[in-house]
Amino acid sequence: MNNDLAIYLQALNSTNCGVIITDNTQRDNPIIYCNKAFETITGYTTDEIIGHNCRFLQAQDRSQAEREKLRESINNGENCKVEIRNYKKNGNLFWNELFISPVKNEKGEITHFIGIQNDISDKKNAEHQLREEKHSVERKITERTKELSDKETFLSSIIQTVRESLLVLDSDYKVLSANNHFLSSFKVTLEDTLGKVLFELGNHQWDIAPLKELLTKILPTNNPVVDYEVEHHFPYIGKKVMLLNAYRIEFEGEYKDRILIAIEDITEKKELDRRKDDFLSVASHELKTPLTTIKGLVQLLQRMAPNGPTEKFISLLDKASLYVDRLNILISELLDTSKIQSGNIELHREPFDIDFLVKDTIENLSMANSAYTISLSGETKAVVNGDELQISQVINNLISNAIKYSPESDKVDIDINVVGNFVKITVTDFGMGINTEDKMKIFDRFFRANTIQKKFPGLGIGLYVSKEIINNHNGTLWVESEVGEGSTFSFTLPIMKKENHGN
Amino acid sequence: METKKIMVCDDDQGILDVLEMLLETEGFGVYTEINSTNLVDQIVSKSPDLLLLDLWMPLLSGDQVLKTIRNTDPIKNLPVIVLSASVDGSDISKDAGADSFVAKPFDMDDLVQKIRSLLSN
Repeated sequence: MNNDLAIYLQALNSTNCGVIITDNTQRDNPIIYCNKAFETITGYTTDEIIGHNCRFLQAQDRSQAEREKLRESINNGENCKVEIRNYKKNGNLFWNELFISPVKNEKGEITHFIGIQNDISDKKNAEHQLREEKHSVERKITERTKELSDKETFLSSIIQTVRESLLVLDSDYKVLSANNHFLSSFKVTLEDTLGKVLFELGNHQWDIAPLKELLTKILPTNNPVVDYEVEHHFPYIGKKVMLLNAYRIEFEGEYKDRILIAIEDITEKKELDRRKDDFLSVASHELKTPLTTIKGLVQLLQRMAPNGPTEKFISLLDKASLYVDRLNILISELLDTSKIQSGNIELHREPFDIDFLVKDTIENLSMANSAYTISLSGETKAVVNGDELQISQVINNLISNAIKYSPESDKVDIDINVVGNFVKITVTDFGMGINTEDKMKIFDRFFRANTIQKKFPGLGIGLYVSKEIINNHNGTLWVESEVGEGSTFSFTLPIMKKENHGN
Repeated sequence: METKKIMVCDDDQGILDVLEMLLETEGFGVYTEINSTNLVDQIVSKSPDLLLLDLWMPLLSGDQVLKTIRNTDPIKNLPVIVLSASVDGSDISKDAGADSFVAKPFDMDDLVQKIRSLLSN
């Protein structure tokens, strides 16, 4: 029997669970036994705790609900399992999973309690951490959701506020969303718009060929499309000129292949531009009419000059004539600029001989500027399809500038040549040249370099108009220049065909 | 040599005066007409050898008159030079059947040369 007890005790000392036994028959239920594991878990030795009530393990932490449960179970003599905060000898907290069980004698009186302890701090910590993380994830999700909904509200208020119509279509051109400006501009309701195919909106009012072309043909291969002009007559709201930007979403995900369309209504702007151009056309005509008489009178005076007029007399009339011409050019330039700005300058394209045009222009200018030698080199034998009058205006402009800005020099060189599929016309002067800073700006409208501002008259639109004209002809106009070294202006024009001089 | 007669039609008296002086010094006979609505009758009655015609005129524009001339039998082949300060004058006059176009303000030598060349054809 003693032998058996030794084995039992050894068994108790071999477990990882702390085991204590209290004597319920004594006052305050003192501990009468604890095993090795209990010592390991709590840091106390058997000698230190024998005779104590178990409550010392709770240290000052006395307000736990589990204590009540324990006390009740002990009073009622029942089994009980609690998870309770206990403290080691060194004061460190550990979570104790405590199971207590009463031991009764034959009379049913409780003689002892057996307490089994497990240190579940790791489990508790893990649980705690898990709970914390869950909370934090939940908090983050709540924040993100709010952030997203804020962002969405913010974005949609931007979309609703812009003074431009915005549409979102799915890949089948069905309208997914339309902003207020679209609805009010085109006098449609949201209900009649959402989910409908764009081309079918308003009883097929939106069945517009160029719009279909844009969405079904151009956009798939040229994404995004910018400044696409569509003119359409809507049965209820009348003629509209619309400038469209279209963008198909290419990034993978939920929004892929959706199409965004921004529509600017430029009907009024077009109308205003047209009226401005009309006004300037009339104004230029009315200004030129008296100028015609003045020029005529000056020319008559030149013709009718008395016999043997003084040099002074001749030069005065020549000057009057020069200034009349200058005024005439200014009036024309104003009109040109206005038309170019509103994109209303018309190209009257016809095939013409570029070599002949250059020669002819040089001849006319040579007569008017006898002090300068305007020499021509090269030839192209090419036919250009373009507006001869406008191209002549460009050549005239470049040569006139070359003369105007090289007062100290007496020659201008013109070179014409073929480069690839283009003719290249180069005008070189030996004048003052242009500094780097001004070179960037000379093609801007109304730009006049500071250095020439006071010395030379002009509105600063000649080069602007020239560049626009060359651009409209699908060529380029550029300048190379060094201060004091003169300037070289060159432009290219696509060749239509080469002349066959053999026949 | 017989004096060639030129009809000038323009709604601006200053231009009429200048052209009259110029053409007379060049040895032409000159008729002037400031009111385009009378022009066709005037041409029929005076039978000039050439017409200098403005485009923008009140009541009846130059291109309208020109179209009438081209459809009026005895005068349909009258040589016509359009003079205009309008930017699209060249196109309009070509469409209406003008033989030549000169932009205003014009160069006298250029104009006289065009007149002589048309008259010699």
